[in-house]
Amino acid sequence: MSAEQTFEDAQRELEQIVERLERGEAGLDEAITLWERGEELYKLCVGRLDAAQGKIEELARRAEQTRP
Amino acid sequence: MSKVEAIHYGDRKVYAVAAFNRGVAEWLQRLPTVWVEGEVTELRRNARWQSVFFTLKDPNDGACLGVTIARSRFDALRLDLADGERVHVFGRPELFEARGDFRMRALSIERFGLGDHLAALERLKKKLAAEGVFERKRPLPFLPRKIGLVTGNDAAAKKDVLATISARFPGARIVVAETLVQGPLAANAMIEALRAIAAAPEVDVVVLSRGGGSFEDLLPFSDEKLVRAIAACPLPVVSAVGHEQDSPLCDFAADARASTPTAAARLVVPDAGELLARLDRTRSGLARGARGVVDRRRERLAQAHHRLRRAPTLAVERKRSRLEHAAGRLRALSPRATLERGYAIVRTHDEIVRTTSAVSSGDEVEVEVADGRFGARVE
Repeated sequence: MSAEQTFEDAQRELEQIVERLERGEAGLDEAITLWERGEELYKLCVGRLDAAQGKIEELARRAEQTRP
Repeated sequence: MSKVEAIHYGDRKVYAVAAFNRGVAEWLQRLPTVWVEGEVTELRRNARWQSVFFTLKDPNDGACLGVTIARSRFDALRLDLADGERVHVFGRPELFEARGDFRMRALSIERFGLGDHLAALERLKKKLAAEGVFERKRPLPFLPRKIGLVTGNDAAAKKDVLATISARFPGARIVVAETLVQGPLAANAMIEALRAIAAAPEVDVVVLSRGGGSFEDLLPFSDEKLVRAIAACPLPVVSAVGHEQDSPLCDFAADARASTPTAAARLVVPDAGELLARLDRTRSGLARGARGVVDRRRERLAQAHHRLRRAPTLAVERKRSRLEHAAGRLRALSPRATLERGYAIVRTHDEIVRTTSAVSSGDEVEVEVADGRFGARVE
């Protein structure tokens, strides 16, 4: 996922890859390449989600501490 | 009019009692005839007297005024007055010279009971309504920077309002203008207080407050000048006067009306506790919402990943089955199956013999059957 690729874009690309693979349109060599790309996108998306979740929990904790 | 003569003792000018009384009496006669309102007490009428006597009492502070009226005139009015009745007396001030008694010489008397009072108020109310004085209704501020409180110096009423506002919104800042709220001077005093507090810096809303009282006690709050001043006030005004059943005219001119101090507080400040609770709920909702977004994304991602994992195997399986299919068709198309049914292929010089003219008698040929080949000679 390049710097300007959003989480949503990455997710969309991943889903397009899956659909393409499932339809069986890709040649065998291409299928392997697509699969590798899919796994890469998946890892990047998970990383982004983990980062977002960490931030949310951190903010929630800080908010708890400043409860009026 | 006879001249009042003084006796001179050297430099001192001295009047006889009769002369003094006559002088004052003459001066009093120059005053105009007016209407005076009060309650009738100590009514004395005697058939042998020329005049009827009674005392007019101010119900607010008990001030008294002696009144005389010619008996014939009094009888002609057929009022059948009793002590304690509210009347309007038309007359002029007078001094009874023989005794130096100040009193009022009545020319006419009208009963002015509660009904008359209410009728007068109703007329005023209609007039003001027709002028549009009651139409201005401005929204109250959600949270005023300061609250102006115009109230009597009666401690209980003031404390009530202050306490309820502070209980509801502890940080509320209140500017208090104490003023007369009862008696003939009250209306003007309240108008002045209202003007002063509306001009005070940061005041965003004014509460006009007074505890319960008798109908007469609340009369200043129906004063035409005060009602107009409320309607013209540059700030929104909350009227918190009297109890639920009272409806002084200031209630109609005000932007909002409250029947109790608690109701007034509810109008001018939000409930701080409720605000904080709502804020808290909103904040937990915020965290919940953010977590929900991540959770939904994660689930969708997991689904995509699961499908991705299965996809290559699926693709290979599909290709394998196509391959098998092709192999099957390939096999079906090969001549082996034909040979197995008993046919043979004959070749000469590695060429397949398709016609009889291709061979001559004595030629060597090769015959292929299902399980192999053998040589033969053409006859």
